[in-house]
Amino acid sequence: MTEDSSTVVALPSPKNRSGEDTASPAPYAELAVTTNFSFLRGGSHPSEFVKQAHALGLTAIGVADRNSLAGVVRAYAQAKELEMRLVVGSRLVFSDGTPDILAYPTDRAAYGRLCRLLTVGNKRAEKGDCILVLDDLIEFAEGLLLIVVPPRPNVALASPILKRLRAIAPDRLWLGVSVAYRGDDLRHLKRIAELVHEHRIPPIAIGDVLYHAPERRALQDVLTCIREHTTLDAAGFRLEANAERHLKSPAEMARLFRRMPEAIEETARFADRCRFSLKELRYEYPNETREGFATPQEALVFYAEEGARKRYPEGLPPKVRNALDHELKLIAELNYAPYFLTVHDIVRFARSDLPDKKPILCQGRGSAANSVVCYCLGVTEVDPNQVDLLFERFLSAERREPPDIDVDFEHERREDVIQYIYKRYGRERASLAATVICYRGRSAIRDIGKAFGLSEDTIGALAGTLWGWSTDAPISDEVKRIGLDPTDKRLAQALLLAQQLIEFPRHLSQHVGGFVMTRGRLDEVIPISNAAMEDRTVVEWDKDDLNELGILKVDVLALGMLSCIRKALEMLNKHYGLLADLSAIPKEEPEIYRMLSRADSIGVFQVESRAQMSMLPRLKPENFYDLVIEVAIVRPGPIQGGMVHPYLRRRQGIDKPDYPKPELKEVLKNTLGIPLFQEQAMRIAIVAAKFTPSEADRLRRSMATFRHLGTIKTFEDKFINGMVTNGYERDFAVRCFEQIKGFGDYGFPESHAASFALLVYFSSWIKCHYPDVFAAALLNSQPMGFYAPAQIVRDAQEHGVEMRAVDTNHSDWDNTLEQFSSWPGLTRPPSARTSVRAEDSQRAL
Amino acid sequence: MREVKSALRLSALNARAESLGLKPGMPLADARAMYPQIKVEHTDDTADQNLLEAITDWCSRYTPLTGLNAPDGMMLDITGCAHLFGGEEAMRQDMTRRLRTQGFTARAAIAGTVGAAWGFARYGKPTVVAVAALRETLLPLPLAALRLDADKVDALIRVGLKKIADIVDRPRAPLAARFGAILLRRFDQAFGVLEEPITPRLPLPPYIAERCFAEPVTQEASVLQTIEHLAGDLARRMEERGDGARALQVTLYRVDGAVRRLSVATSKPQRDTRALCRLFRERFSSLTDELDPGYGFDVVRLSVTTAEKTEAAQKDIVSSATGSDDIAHLIDRLGVRFGTRRVMRFAPQETHIPEFAVINVPARENLPTAAQSESPQQDTDGPARPLRLFEKPEEIDAIAEVPDGPPAQFRWRRVLHEITHAEGPERIAMEWWRDDKGRTLTRDYFRIEDNHGHRFWLYREGLFGHETKPPRWFVHGLFA
Repeated sequence: MTEDSSTVVALPSPKNRSGEDTASPAPYAELAVTTNFSFLRGGSHPSEFVKQAHALGLTAIGVADRNSLAGVVRAYAQAKELEMRLVVGSRLVFSDGTPDILAYPTDRAAYGRLCRLLTVGNKRAEKGDCILVLDDLIEFAEGLLLIVVPPRPNVALASPILKRLRAIAPDRLWLGVSVAYRGDDLRHLKRIAELVHEHRIPPIAIGDVLYHAPERRALQDVLTCIREHTTLDAAGFRLEANAERHLKSPAEMARLFRRMPEAIEETARFADRCRFSLKELRYEYPNETREGFATPQEALVFYAEEGARKRYPEGLPPKVRNALDHELKLIAELNYAPYFLTVHDIVRFARSDLPDKKPILCQGRGSAANSVVCYCLGVTEVDPNQVDLLFERFLSAERREPPDIDVDFEHERREDVIQYIYKRYGRERASLAATVICYRGRSAIRDIGKAFGLSEDTIGALAGTLWGWSTDAPISDEVKRIGLDPTDKRLAQALLLAQQLIEFPRHLSQHVGGFVMTRGRLDEVIPISNAAMEDRTVVEWDKDDLNELGILKVDVLALGMLSCIRKALEMLNKHYGLLADLSAIPKEEPEIYRMLSRADSIGVFQVESRAQMSMLPRLKPENFYDLVIEVAIVRPGPIQGGMVHPYLRRRQGIDKPDYPKPELKEVLKNTLGIPLFQEQAMRIAIVAAKFTPSEADRLRRSMATFRHLGTIKTFEDKFINGMVTNGYERDFAVRCFEQIKGFGDYGFPESHAASFALLVYFSSWIKCHYPDVFAAALLNSQPMGFYAPAQIVRDAQEHGVEMRAVDTNHSDWDNTLEQFSSWPGLTRPPSARTSVRAEDSQRAL
Repeated sequence: MREVKSALRLSALNARAESLGLKPGMPLADARAMYPQIKVEHTDDTADQNLLEAITDWCSRYTPLTGLNAPDGMMLDITGCAHLFGGEEAMRQDMTRRLRTQGFTARAAIAGTVGAAWGFARYGKPTVVAVAALRETLLPLPLAALRLDADKVDALIRVGLKKIADIVDRPRAPLAARFGAILLRRFDQAFGVLEEPITPRLPLPPYIAERCFAEPVTQEASVLQTIEHLAGDLARRMEERGDGARALQVTLYRVDGAVRRLSVATSKPQRDTRALCRLFRERFSSLTDELDPGYGFDVVRLSVTTAEKTEAAQKDIVSSATGSDDIAHLIDRLGVRFGTRRVMRFAPQETHIPEFAVINVPARENLPTAAQSESPQQDTDGPARPLRLFEKPEEIDAIAEVPDGPPAQFRWRRVLHEITHAEGPERIAMEWWRDDKGRTLTRDYFRIEDNHGHRFWLYREGLFGHETKPPRWFVHGLFA
């Protein structure tokens, strides 16, 4: 402000400004957006940014999170819906003092390099961190557009970096300028102009946005406090001085940059040069050619036919033949053969006799798993002759969605399978999927409470008003009940912010077993980082993100019951000379169903819980499909949807199943007119509410995963109105929707239920005929299941098994079976020797 | 009672509760089951500690060397003091009697070692143990009298060792190996083989003078007179050794056991009686709470808590004193006169809100250590904040460009200022989490220079078009 200083800014004369407001603003693209996937920094969801950018009329929006691409898929999904132009990039934050650089790939190859760059940084750091230096960027900079964000106020500090980068990327370098209402903005513009002149690098306007709308300032302040482990009162200058870091309209940006209009014009040009879109990441299946076959499809047909001959030695039933041909044709059409071969290969590895290890028991489930092809490939044991499953759900030609096969393995051997996959595909081509850990009611109120400096007691009491996994903040009635005043300004603010914070991502974790495999380098598709567990790597996207982009994922899951069944089979083989194979177990024995109807099900897979045991005598399962229903009905979904009692009444013949229209009978006849499975909910939406299949699929996903309250509401209106126009009564439509809404989180697809029901049958069969084997196998697989060892022991004793105490001469590490010498007449020796290991059962004896 | 591992347990009992058979450490539930009518209070460790400290201070009437012996005792070194009270036994009885009249139950023992006195006071006969009789009187005491942990004592009892006599003649090495070196150390301390000093609660002043009154004094004037008398006494003694007082303390022992201390500090070593008395007179007259003599003070003690060579003061005059020293002296002197809490200084606060960026803190208090976060730096040649910030911003009439331009001219106190230069806006939003009534509007600050070269810090309150209809303008400070 000194008189002689050239930086003095004279008040613009009114004449200069007269035209500005009337002219239509120059197009503007915001390129510095920090979403809440820059954990505890960004104050809005990626989708909120995209929506807001669309509403403000920006030409494009660039999502650039801190050393991460974690949020881009969600932004992409929203942008696709709104047809908003999205540019994908990352904000590179360096650990060597280099100022932040926004990096945007121009094409697929450059995107791959960005992923590689981030992977390098991730692998160097502990889980959740990324350590980058400028040299890393220089190595991978080809094809990346770079915006250097110089530090304020001393922008000249960026000079050496600009020189270095200009040498390698002369036409791909920009200088980011922001107007931040800091008081020195005009000087800042001038300093940038000097740098621009000195280095001949164009300036580009950025908003350096942290939240989509100014109202989010409070939440962003709180996030800062959570990140810095401090309170609002102590945070001081770590908080922003004002609420200006929100998305602004092109007109507003043009006004702020009226002294540097070229910086605004540059944004649109910049966005145009970023031609890369996530849809180019069309997934490439790993190369699954097999020796002796020209194409994967040929190999698949061969394996399937070979398996079919084994499954049906006396020839395929016509129904199965037709289904198999149909499925193979669909698979060929959609080119999914490699995927099935991948699963086939994993299963074959598990079943194979390794030199030093026994085969691993496994079973597939998931929609695609319960197909005839999978049955023939040996992935599943659900006989398509027994259950009529909707193959179309996963493989409809119009939705090019990847098939979904989950494979359960013995829980003690799953690591072997995981390491096999790493070995077979290589660490650059296989990795675990991520799980985004989000704020829930309790964690939100806890962190917010700390930021507000509430006492531990208060926070504990507030959190105590919530259910464990509740996704709501405490409501005022509850708050009053614990003796706090919900109208107190500070408390009200805390509760409001807690509500906003819910569903905010907190950090990334590894998915329980979802494997992503690619043909090319996986780290050119997604940045990979270290998992907390040794020898594991994780990608940055979760299963919904992968699904959105159509990336293949095989779930390699662990199931304790499979370990138990394998151990039981071994004992059956050793002590009773029975074949150690699941397919050797006779199907549909009435004795088994009688046992289950008595609720004699301790230790049996899935149906051993108390809720299931009270359901069994009422449902009285008589055949395999009843077991499928039994598994599916005692779930929070159907229970909350109020389907249990109507179903039981109809089953017991008290009520008659009624179908308002014959089209519904087609969908619901197997379950007596009550929707119990996810597929049925979708079918109802298609048949009765006239949803298109892809809309129905979106409905399923909005119920299941993304849980956006807003979207489910729009679906609700569409669903009910659709049914009403289609001639249903409004009451019925509302009830219908309420019912299927319950599926959201906790409904079972029919195919999953069928796979589980199979395990129910197998475990019941062993328990029914060989309670000694069953008890010993269960005890040897602990910890698993619902009951403590003592209860399993007592149950075995009630079934006539003699339990012998630990004996230093006879006991082994595991529980063993022994001859029951004093009953010479019996062919079956019902006695088990307790192991050294089973301390709990020892106490019970 | 107190919470021990999430269970409420009794921690201390009165005599009546003890006679009912309750014991410390007993779960409250059990005690309630036995005697539902018992009255329990939560243990207040701080209050206990404070009380014990107060009693210890009171005990300094007997000897300046008093030590705290948590949780329930104190230790006095009466070497060379007993004759003033008519011998050791007389002193002991005087002490217990005075404590009893104050409502305490006290057991006092005098012995040649700290350990022995501790043991006798708690487990033996509270009496004076002659040095020669120390060994034989200690032997029959239980091992707990050796200040051992309860579990150590239990361990010893389990092997049949109950009394000190049981271990006195045993070989030492196996005992140490089995029960730890602490056993032998305590043993040696009790028998006087090892020296054990008392940790005094208050530092021993280098000079002390005191006067006891048979008839307690109640008048402030007579207290001051006594102080003058004592000060003269001290001054003579300090002169002998070339010392001067930097800090003095007068300790007034009230008949009922309350102890009042008043301190004065000088900025240079001082032994002029009248000057010292003047300080105390100022100190007395500046007392915020009345000096309550109650039934009178029976002992007045004046001690020099810090003494320095007076020659050192000469040096100070020659050498160039550093500024901070000068300020510290000033704070001292002002502090004596007005009370240290009234001498304030400014401390920066981490907040964006200008009027809260500085607060007053007592000057004696240490400034908070390095700031948690740095204030945002502005790119400017001059100061970003005005030299003079008005306590209350003054409203002005201004005409400005919308939405966020600086004013072209403004009228403040009826004078019209034409603006020639402006810088800004610096947008500062209020701290939304504070419950400040009405202080919610965002401000845009401008640094302004008018055509006469005056520089102002102006702000517009409220964002145009969002928060308020007609924005109001204020001048918040002056740069020059």
